[in-house]
Amino acid sequence: MINQVTSPVIEVHDLTVSYDQSPVLWNVDLSLPSGKLIGILGPNGAGKSTLIKAIMGLVKPTSGYVKIFDKTLQDVRSRISYVPQRESVDWNFPASVLDVVMMGTYGKLGLFKRPGKKEKEIALGCLDQVGMMSFVNRQISELSGGQQQRVFIARALAQEADLYLMDEPFAGVDMATETAIFQLLKDMTAKGKTIVVVHHDIHSAMNYFDWIIMLNLHLVGSGPTELVMTEELLRKTYGGKLNLLTKVTELIRQKDFNPLKR
Amino acid sequence: MEDFLYFFTFQDASIAFVVIGITLLGIGSAYVGTYSFLDKKALLGDAISHAVLPGICLGFILAGEKNPIYIVTGAFASGALATFLISWLRSNTKLSEDAIIASILSIFFGFGIVLLTVIQKSGNPEMAGLNQFIFGNAIAILEEDLYIYGGLALVIIIVLTMFQKEFSLLVFNPDFGKAIGYPMESIRLIFNVLMILAVVIGIQAIGVVLMAALLITPGAAARFWTDRLGSLLIIAGAFSAVSGILGTYVSFVLPQMPTGPWVVVCLSLLALISFLFAPKKGVISRLIARNGYLKKTHQDHLMKTLYKAVEEGKKFLTIEEIYQAYPHQSSKSMNSIYRLIRKGLITKNERVIILTESGKSEAKRIVRLHRLWELYLNEYMNIAPDHVHDSAEQLEHLLTPELEKLLEKRLNFPKLDPHQENIPRDTDDI
Repeated sequence: MINQVTSPVIEVHDLTVSYDQSPVLWNVDLSLPSGKLIGILGPNGAGKSTLIKAIMGLVKPTSGYVKIFDKTLQDVRSRISYVPQRESVDWNFPASVLDVVMMGTYGKLGLFKRPGKKEKEIALGCLDQVGMMSFVNRQISELSGGQQQRVFIARALAQEADLYLMDEPFAGVDMATETAIFQLLKDMTAKGKTIVVVHHDIHSAMNYFDWIIMLNLHLVGSGPTELVMTEELLRKTYGGKLNLLTKVTELIRQKDFNPLKR
Repeated sequence: MEDFLYFFTFQDASIAFVVIGITLLGIGSAYVGTYSFLDKKALLGDAISHAVLPGICLGFILAGEKNPIYIVTGAFASGALATFLISWLRSNTKLSEDAIIASILSIFFGFGIVLLTVIQKSGNPEMAGLNQFIFGNAIAILEEDLYIYGGLALVIIIVLTMFQKEFSLLVFNPDFGKAIGYPMESIRLIFNVLMILAVVIGIQAIGVVLMAALLITPGAAARFWTDRLGSLLIIAGAFSAVSGILGTYVSFVLPQMPTGPWVVVCLSLLALISFLFAPKKGVISRLIARNGYLKKTHQDHLMKTLYKAVEEGKKFLTIEEIYQAYPHQSSKSMNSIYRLIRKGLITKNERVIILTESGKSEAKRIVRLHRLWELYLNEYMNIAPDHVHDSAEQLEHLLTPELEKLLEKRLNFPKLDPHQENIPRDTDDI
């Protein structure tokens, strides 16, 4: 069940990604429609984060390519926003909430230039949207997990992009915050933005997303939620890794050189 | 005293020069070091500073004298080689980072010592000052060398200030920087170059062995005082500059004294002061805060004792009764009584102690929080009524008015706690 769309926002073509030479994503080939809230589902270690990192050019694919808005990443970078996993940064870094959200304006600002009044206005507006106005000057280490997540989302909003790629924005977030963030994302798609979210909860995914990608080292499914959320596909995604694929990966890993490198 | 005046009034132009130089290089290395401290790469600075020694010796051998250009170039080259080797080994072998850094450090330093010995055996009369590179001697730096070191320090400070937003991204979230299209690899490269430069210009004043302290200690000490990057850099720079100047002064008064160890002693002292006395994060202010909190909890307990007496129908308690309620703590209880009188929560008449009106309301608040929490534990967390008291005894001092409201709502404004005791509201009469 892999639905391809015409004039896609993201086109992933035969993408294979390896860490330390063993593949973590095999020949992923998919295309995504615009203006939708899209969820990436799969078990731990299925390559969900790797997929969006590969789309963002943060990991080099062994083969295949990605096109965004029918162009290469480099040409459309300013239209894309990336929200990394909350745990990927050190929250003890000496910065205030405002400092972090301002980083969202750095892309348009460019190198050398310092953020000024205009950038501060944008950042404050975005903090307001995620309901964090009263934390503007708070040191980021003093925030709860859900608040840190909202700061990251405010930073993404400050990028004023058309496509958002978010790595686990609902991880470590309480129910009230989850609903609030989801509503915000919903409003954004209503304005024509496309949002791709790595998600871990099958149950809520059913209600949240318009389109779902199922991954387990390879692409299991990609299509409208009602078509993809079937028992068969869920079993294929979560019913353990493909035995043969795991064995091949192991075989590659045990070689003293990289057999996939040309 | 004469020396002190002579040194700090800068009558001697060469002293003024040295002081300006050491201030600049102190600030420069504190800036670079603060970033690498935040990046958790403190050991890298140590490895680089040891790794420049063979470069210094090679530079000396090639020039045949202590030519600053040769020495700086040599030091920079071997520092860069070490940095490159560390990152190459990290990405191409399965060795852990600490093993790589430790080996590179000792291999380069060992090789440097071999070269140094060779030079000393050669009998070159120029080599006399070369030992200073091990522990540093700020006073012995020549004026023309100072121009080079000071100039490079200025370059470091300017570049770091100009690129503040880029370097913070590098430390805080390099993936995000890459995603918005910043050339993070180049920024990392520039940062490494600045780090090596900071080491190179510092070695003659501070020495190879102790240079890492000048990089890392200022940032680590300054972190106790602030949560903002801007002020962190300024405080770190100030610590470093002050220590640098004091170390130089000692070298000036006692010519045989190497500068490096004294700079490190000053820095360590500043770090110790920060560790002990910094507001909020320092050990002492945390002790004071805890002490104050413990006093407050004792006062709260005393108020509860008075309230319970009223609940049991007694109008007042005598001081003796209160002392008996807290055996072996009479002086503590006496202190609490005087504090509560000063706050206007109780009055004392002869030996008789009575709650005032505001005291009653405060006592009701504490008892209410205690009993609400007991009920919450019992109802929501299924803890038996005889197991809830100890937790409530701690939480009654902590719960905020917002949490109190939330508890009231969740429990639907209950009348009784799990022990069938009344939960007092402010409007209740006692």
